[in-house]
Amino acid sequence: MDFINQNLLTILILLPVVGAVLVLAHQMFWKQEGQLKWLTLGFTLLNFLVSLAMFSRSSVAGASGFYFEQNVPWISAINTNYHVGVDGLSFWLVILTTFIMPIAVLSTWHAVEKRATAFYVFLLLLESAMIGVFVSLDLLVFYLFFEASLVPMFFLIGVWGGENRIYAAVKFFIFTALGSLLMLVAIIGLYYIYADQTGLGGSFDFVAILAAMQSGTLVLAPQAGMLLFLAFALAFAIKVPVFPFHTWLPDAHTEAPTAGSVILAAVLLKMGTYGLMRFNFALFPDQSREMAPLFITLAIIGIIYGALVAMVQPDVKRLVAYSSVAHMGFVILGMFSFTEAGMQGALFTMLAHGVTTGALFLLVGFIYERRHTREITQFGGLANVMPVYATIFVITTMASVGLPFLNGFVGEFLIMLGMFQSHALDTIQLLGWNWNYVATMLAGTGVIFAAVYLLWMVQRVFFGKVTNDKNKALVDLSWREIGLMVPLLILMVYMGVFPQPFLKRSENTIKALQERVMQRAGGTIDHADVKPGLEEKIAAR
Amino acid sequence: MNTFFLADLVPAGVNIPIILPELIVALAGVIVMVYDSFFPKQKVATGAISLLGLVGSGIVLAAMWGTGSPDSGWNGMIAHDNLRVGFSFVFLFVSAITILISTVWIDRERVPAGEYHALLLFATFGMMLMSSGNDLVIIFLGLETLSLATYVMAGLRRGDLKSNESSMKYFILGSFASAFLLYGMALIYGATGSTNITQIAAKVADPNFPGLLLIGAAMMIVGFGFKIAMAPFHVWTPDVYEGAPTPVTGFMATGAKAAAFASFIRVFVIGMPLIAGVQASVYLHQSWITVLTVLAMATIIVGNVAAIMQDNVKRMLAYSSIAHAGYALVGFVGAGLATTVIARDEAIAAVAFYLLTYTVTNLGAFAIVTFLSQKNDRRADFEDYNGIGFKSPVIAFSLSIFMLSLLGMPLTAGFMGKVLVFRPALEAGNDLLTILVVVAVIGTAISAYYYLRLIVVMFFRERTTQWTEPRMSAAMGAVLVITVVGVLYLGIFAGGLIEKFARSSSPSVIAAER
Repeated sequence: MDFINQNLLTILILLPVVGAVLVLAHQMFWKQEGQLKWLTLGFTLLNFLVSLAMFSRSSVAGASGFYFEQNVPWISAINTNYHVGVDGLSFWLVILTTFIMPIAVLSTWHAVEKRATAFYVFLLLLESAMIGVFVSLDLLVFYLFFEASLVPMFFLIGVWGGENRIYAAVKFFIFTALGSLLMLVAIIGLYYIYADQTGLGGSFDFVAILAAMQSGTLVLAPQAGMLLFLAFALAFAIKVPVFPFHTWLPDAHTEAPTAGSVILAAVLLKMGTYGLMRFNFALFPDQSREMAPLFITLAIIGIIYGALVAMVQPDVKRLVAYSSVAHMGFVILGMFSFTEAGMQGALFTMLAHGVTTGALFLLVGFIYERRHTREITQFGGLANVMPVYATIFVITTMASVGLPFLNGFVGEFLIMLGMFQSHALDTIQLLGWNWNYVATMLAGTGVIFAAVYLLWMVQRVFFGKVTNDKNKALVDLSWREIGLMVPLLILMVYMGVFPQPFLKRSENTIKALQERVMQRAGGTIDHADVKPGLEEKIAAR
Repeated sequence: MNTFFLADLVPAGVNIPIILPELIVALAGVIVMVYDSFFPKQKVATGAISLLGLVGSGIVLAAMWGTGSPDSGWNGMIAHDNLRVGFSFVFLFVSAITILISTVWIDRERVPAGEYHALLLFATFGMMLMSSGNDLVIIFLGLETLSLATYVMAGLRRGDLKSNESSMKYFILGSFASAFLLYGMALIYGATGSTNITQIAAKVADPNFPGLLLIGAAMMIVGFGFKIAMAPFHVWTPDVYEGAPTPVTGFMATGAKAAAFASFIRVFVIGMPLIAGVQASVYLHQSWITVLTVLAMATIIVGNVAAIMQDNVKRMLAYSSIAHAGYALVGFVGAGLATTVIARDEAIAAVAFYLLTYTVTNLGAFAIVTFLSQKNDRRADFEDYNGIGFKSPVIAFSLSIFMLSLLGMPLTAGFMGKVLVFRPALEAGNDLLTILVVVAVIGTAISAYYYLRLIVVMFFRERTTQWTEPRMSAAMGAVLVITVVGVLYLGIFAGGLIEKFARSSSPSVIAAER
């Protein structure tokens, strides 16, 4: 048990790498490409099972609040350590990653015929990099995994993607690389600021830097702090993507093969929101508060713009891609409300979006495999020929719209509740309005828009008469396809009805983070100096 | 005893063992030349002798790397510090790999192997002198030995017009640059009364003619700038690199560049330090730091932007090598601004390590370009790489790893190199340098476009024409294994090596306490 406790996260990172090596070896010696999917599925399932060990209560949190912590020197000349651990923030994201991987593998069962070896190798390497991102607590190691996840995805889009794949793959790579390279400069800069102020020598260790900041031995100058904040935020904002850095997303999502789109939507985008919460909020709380109005504005633009653009997409997959822009806008909004409800909602929406949008991409993939088109106008009346498919699709759409008792509702509700209570916009005195109410209201319209574009699409694709002859002979979902949708459907309902277990696990971490981000440099919490609320205003009249 | 006898023969101050690594390489060169004139056309034998010489030199060097050896010899003309040892290893590595890469090309083009191997060894000898020379005269001697050998090597493919053009251009422009360098050295001698770098460093606080010192330094920047391909003295690079035989291009882009960096660093970082409070020194120091910072930015921008527009892989690599000179300059300038001797040596070690990572990666890339191109380097355009990815997966994935390393992706050597050279520049806390680092990362992001382009054409496009993979020779296989493993090793397990590179050198070489 001790061995597991100490090495669990390393096992999670290394298992897929071992899988990739075995896939290569298997292909080299037996040349049976058809068997590789079984091997890959086995390894991803095994990794999921191993990740469930995180539920055990055997690990005790270290002083820093992280479970399953491991800290081994990596390159001592520059004092960087392989330091990993999970807490409430990363726990579910790791599980989400290991959970979505077997589903992604199953989704490619018949889709990937050519070059299967490379496909599965990249898929497994990608899993390892993604888990690494969520668990690393050393900034350089985090950066390493963050960048390393680019390469397999680049290949997945570029080799197995759609027609316009090269453009999409290169755009995806360059956009994300530019952002993260500036983050690298900030990471090294922070290393020297730490060395300068603490006199302990430089450090990349997130826990050490945070501790120094909390104890007051490390105080960032406002200007330097802002530059560092911006460098980190840019990297994550591109990844999320926050409007106006979103333009890579529709291309990448649309061109990627189904498994790639699922992983992109479910996990890769979360690296950005995770990074913002983990690093920007914790390391630069003052700057986070200062920049909150900007981020909230961009989030609302993203919600409304994403929805409006989604509405006019002729391609189902592109529509789902733009819906991601809107959903991730909600996540950003919730985070920057700096309320417990909002931040919990943001985390919950990250998970919910992973499940629902992942499912939507899978569903789009099913129909594409049958018809080799995703144009909405090519379909119509599919409910008559593919009833099971239509049922699953509608449930998933409802979850995405945010129907109560499905998972999308809980997150969006919490986010709007949090935004309503938020003091993040109190600094804006314009017109004397309570801008947090305005923001909540605008976000609310986004929910309505989501219903419009998704339901309109469902109506055009599934209902009415079958107008296109090619659709008359479509085969309904196979058992494999149903089988891989079932866990997702169960989760959609379960998360919608019993959100408590999910929220419970992240509660303490989120509370601590919220306190950290609302803390002024002097040590007071920001609640004290709020401007009078609506009730007082009315009373004053 | 024997040693006493020898000691009586040689004049005081002369210290043979300290230049033993250089001597072994030169001796191997002479043996190859003599052997070749008695038994011509024995390419395996001359290659083996050359490799033996290089490895022997490396072993001696490794034995000297540590305490126990004096830190200078020959009356201060030869320095023995980390700068020398670190860079010399890079040179030996470059030469050994170049010999292995050349086997393919020697067969294909019927090059006189003996001459080629001898020239390569003499060039290596010159490079090693450039890193160990602690005197402007020695540095110039090393530089000329290196340059003359490479002028000839660039033109070895005598029947090919491009090769001749490359050789001529390199010779004429190179001589011009050497003249600048030499004139700069003369002026510095005039200003300080010495050619010894240690003594120059002591004298910059109180030079005889401060104006001459500045002009001399400027001329040396021109001379060295030409050799490392720093903008705006980089214009020769693409033509020369494209025309020269590919293995020679690899050698010039890695070895010759690293050698010029070694002397450049020694003359400026060690020879022209900042002596606080002394106006002449402060002015000189500020001037060269500012000039190099601005030129480094220009180099990074020019190299990366021009590389985007290339259709020939060799030309792309030529421009990429210009950009990489810019990244190495980031660490160089950081070393110049270091406030303590330890920090300075760490920064120098970072540059040496960076050039090592660049060398390993680039040699791998040039090896594959050599391997895939046919006679007269005909198949070296991007189009020629179309769709070979899944037809020759080993070659294509190796080349992809090299491209990702040049790009600086994590887990490859290039990433470690970049982190190490950016560190000293950011440590200085100087605004101009921070901007330089930002320019460098933006340049890196731009470079993603053309490095990825090679991956894109190999893997994402389909091949329309016939493709037969050339036969892999044992030497080529060895090169691929060494470079791929090297790239991954330096990217993941570089810790011990970085520490060895960064260990502070002995204090007596350091001129003035700052």
